[in-house]
Amino acid sequence: MSEKGHAQSGVRFGMVIDLDKCSGCGACSVACQAENNISFRPDESEKLRSITWMEIYQLTNGKDYPDFRQAFLPRPCMHCDSPHHSPCTFVCPVNATTRDENNGIVTHIYPRCIGCRYCMVACPYHARDFNWWDPSWPKPMESMLSPEVSTRMRGVVEKCTFCHHRMLKARSKAYVDGSDPNKATYTTACADACPTKAITFGNLQDEKSEVAKLSKDPRAFRILAKLQTEPKVYYLSKQDWIKKLSDNALK
Amino acid sequence: MKFGRRAFLQIAAGAVGGSLLSPLPWQLAGDSARWSQNWSWRPSPERGEITKVPSICTMCEGGCGIQARLVNGNRAILVEGNPANPVTEGGICPLGAAGLQFLYAPYRISRPLKQTKGRGNISGFQPITWDEALAELGKKLAIVRGESKAHTVACITSGRQSSMDDLWQQLFSAYGSQNLFKMPTQADGLRSSALLTTGIASPYTFALENATHVLSFGSNLLEGAAAPGRAFAALRQWRQNGNVKLVQVESRCSLTASKADQWLAVEPGAEAAIALSIAHVMIAGNTYDADFVKNNVFGFEDWTDSTGKRRQGFKTLVSSPTYSPEEIAKKAKVDAAAIRALAKDFAAQKNAIAVWNLGHSDLAFNTYDELAFVALNVLKGNIKTGGLVNLTADIPLGALPAVEKDALAENAAQQKRLDLTRDKTAPVPQNGLYGFLDSLAHGSKYPIEVLMVHEANPAYSLMESRLFQAALDKIKMLVSFSSFMDETACLADLVLPNHTALERLDDVKGIPAASFSYYAVSSPILKPLGDTKNTGDAVLALAGKIGGTVASSVPWKTYEEFLKFRVKGLAETQKGAVADKAGIRLTSAEPVKPNFKDGDDLWKKLKAGACWYDAPAEMPSFKTASGKLELACQAIPVAAAADDHMFLPHLFTIKLAGGEQDFPLLLVAHSTGYLTSGYLANPPFMNKLIPDWTLKGNEEFVDVNPQTAQSLGLSQGQSASLRTTQGEATVRVNVTSAARPGVVFLPKGLGHKAYDEYIQNKGTNANSLMEVLLDPVSGMGTVWATRAQLRRV
Repeated sequence: MSEKGHAQSGVRFGMVIDLDKCSGCGACSVACQAENNISFRPDESEKLRSITWMEIYQLTNGKDYPDFRQAFLPRPCMHCDSPHHSPCTFVCPVNATTRDENNGIVTHIYPRCIGCRYCMVACPYHARDFNWWDPSWPKPMESMLSPEVSTRMRGVVEKCTFCHHRMLKARSKAYVDGSDPNKATYTTACADACPTKAITFGNLQDEKSEVAKLSKDPRAFRILAKLQTEPKVYYLSKQDWIKKLSDNALK
Repeated sequence: MKFGRRAFLQIAAGAVGGSLLSPLPWQLAGDSARWSQNWSWRPSPERGEITKVPSICTMCEGGCGIQARLVNGNRAILVEGNPANPVTEGGICPLGAAGLQFLYAPYRISRPLKQTKGRGNISGFQPITWDEALAELGKKLAIVRGESKAHTVACITSGRQSSMDDLWQQLFSAYGSQNLFKMPTQADGLRSSALLTTGIASPYTFALENATHVLSFGSNLLEGAAAPGRAFAALRQWRQNGNVKLVQVESRCSLTASKADQWLAVEPGAEAAIALSIAHVMIAGNTYDADFVKNNVFGFEDWTDSTGKRRQGFKTLVSSPTYSPEEIAKKAKVDAAAIRALAKDFAAQKNAIAVWNLGHSDLAFNTYDELAFVALNVLKGNIKTGGLVNLTADIPLGALPAVEKDALAENAAQQKRLDLTRDKTAPVPQNGLYGFLDSLAHGSKYPIEVLMVHEANPAYSLMESRLFQAALDKIKMLVSFSSFMDETACLADLVLPNHTALERLDDVKGIPAASFSYYAVSSPILKPLGDTKNTGDAVLALAGKIGGTVASSVPWKTYEEFLKFRVKGLAETQKGAVADKAGIRLTSAEPVKPNFKDGDDLWKKLKAGACWYDAPAEMPSFKTASGKLELACQAIPVAAAADDHMFLPHLFTIKLAGGEQDFPLLLVAHSTGYLTSGYLANPPFMNKLIPDWTLKGNEEFVDVNPQTAQSLGLSQGQSASLRTTQGEATVRVNVTSAARPGVVFLPKGLGHKAYDEYIQNKGTNANSLMEVLLDPVSGMGTVWATRAQLRRV
């Protein structure tokens, strides 16, 4: 047991997103959709029904023209590291969503999920989406589904997994290569795609890792830190107005 | 024994208890869970070995390195950036990441089609074989040429730079037509301003990577730049180094403006006025590079023209009080002190550069605007070898053989390009696509028998859409080479579908506005899915059908053979090198050592996804009348210049149609990062990125300032009628302080009438509302704003 109140290994995967570099292009979100077989519908403008693991929020400083400024904030699942439980894992009645204490990734097991959506209510970051419909793809596009990630079904909740399947692959590779699987590192699809290299992913526990260093940067902050959910996604910005918004509820 | 209530309950409880102890219910629950997840509607992707295939993206002009992931070598599941590409170093844009949605698009055309009913009737398309399709078009082209009407054949090709341009050019020269146009891009403006000032028709380039102060005039660096990969890489580098200041001069608080270190909000169309005022301050304060100007520049001081008349120079013109910050501030509606501060900053920085036209779509600036931006770089002494501004160097690819012209070609070539037959032609004509359409629409000197459209969707993506529609009525046969059933293909009489970008062999000639040379070959990631044909091969086949000197001018059997020939020529120059890893400084002035043996070796490396590059070239000697860099452009004929300042960068606005009384607002159509507005329709993945204040259901929003909204009685989300001098549309209102008061902003990329339910009939095509103004010097279409009114409905 660590001071956090739960068993912890030396691996805690986390992410740092540099909002000063982020251009809001959305490549991370698209790469995530392609990587994770996220379904889409003809109308994606009803945002409460749209499934997006990496959501791009618009931030504005609320001032009048020409003092107005905007920024974009990519929001994956925060993989909260709060003691014992993340907000979502705490409420799940069927243990469909749990935190793997070996690496800190909050997973969601679709076959277990009964679709009660309690986790969606509990999540302060709106990181979870519900499958209101049977996912369907135009026939030719079924060819571009990845065999590494299962497609979901109607009636279950889904969310960012920190590309968990990539971690499993990295661990398998380490095992085959004869190195320690617990030391295997990997990157997520969003971090790979980012054209400005605003997203850094890695082991927060490893002092030497880029992500650990950046998470201690003076520009670093976390969203809704006051809730003590201990998100493992950090943001960097030198803009005060952006930092201030991090303490607001997301709209 | 009596079976009473008690006994019943006992048995029932026993049954429940007993069955819970047995494995049966658990087994059933497990089975049903498994069964419920195996509905046929839930696709179960085929498993197999996953491999990576590197290639180059050709979906826009950017030429980024990509790699595709394949399952069993035949099913592509992901497109990601190639970490070995020295420009993007593994990054990718959202369009590239969604690239497979074009490969697997339901609206792809999988075989040649012939329209058997009226134009535009989708049910009239009949599939035909490639032999039939090529024979039909080849015969038509041969007949038209035989009748000495070769000049009546025209082509519109993509704005992208590739060897297809050279193949089309070769075909058209041999055939005898000059009506070959490219879709408009902002590089057209960089080329025309370079031609006027240096005498060389190569677009200006900007060494963004070496600058420490970037003064950007309305450039869409972060929303749909012509080369997004390079623009993003530049932003990454600027933020990493932390010593680069980006200043954006623009009317809207775009993302670039927001992300810039400083944003100067100006009236739309007043960007060049700011540039001229900065020049005024720099000249008045003597903070410009006087040595450079003195030794290399013509027309800074007063000058004498070829007829011996004394003319005003740039210094005299711009020093007049008209260009003082106080006067310009009134026009641009900014603070005079802000202009002075900008000028001071720009003058003080050693590596300061003024940039413009880094977007991919239509020109927003007219010739004189562009000359004003050039002038700022002249004052900084940027335009020289090793300077921040240079000219795009030609890629030394294998040169095409001289075109053999028979009598038919010679005769037809006497006929001028259609846009040059107009009563009022431009003195220094450039890519005159809009002029071409305008002459067709308004009674041209000769008709167009065949228009071929390659990798473009002019029916949707050209501004002032009704112009293309009107021109189309005068075109007898429309042939589309599109891979998709887009708006233009729907109107075609014959469709000869190209492979999609990821299925074909193609190449990329340079990154727009990049100072270094870049060449890459895009190899297919998998076999074509349908019965499609690389348009390069189709063009070669057509030349064969026409026969004679047309066939002998393009002596290659396949497009692959042609590209190999070009690469062989490149290898023989022994210039440049192959870059197959990240971290190479492409903008370094150090000479590059070749690292390839011969043509075959270079071809092999390029096909494997590496790119060829060369250090920024030396500035060629100027080919102007004075032999110097001309601020007074003598390429503009004396006869065409009514006034001294017609040779010089000066305040110049092309007047918009419509009166302020009827149309009190200005409409500006803008690019966004989440909507593609060119040849490709927005893919479903990117639709998720569209905010619900841009599109809700099928309704698109315009951005309006709160002050303007209030004066019009409009509130957030309300429906309104947007009427411009060109058309009308119903929109909803997004009240935002990003918008300038008095200006309405409409995103481009929606309002498609073709494709599928994922994009069709959503929003409004901004192009249909915009007005195209022909530039008086270059004759190219410019689109900066349109007069509009917005009313509650």
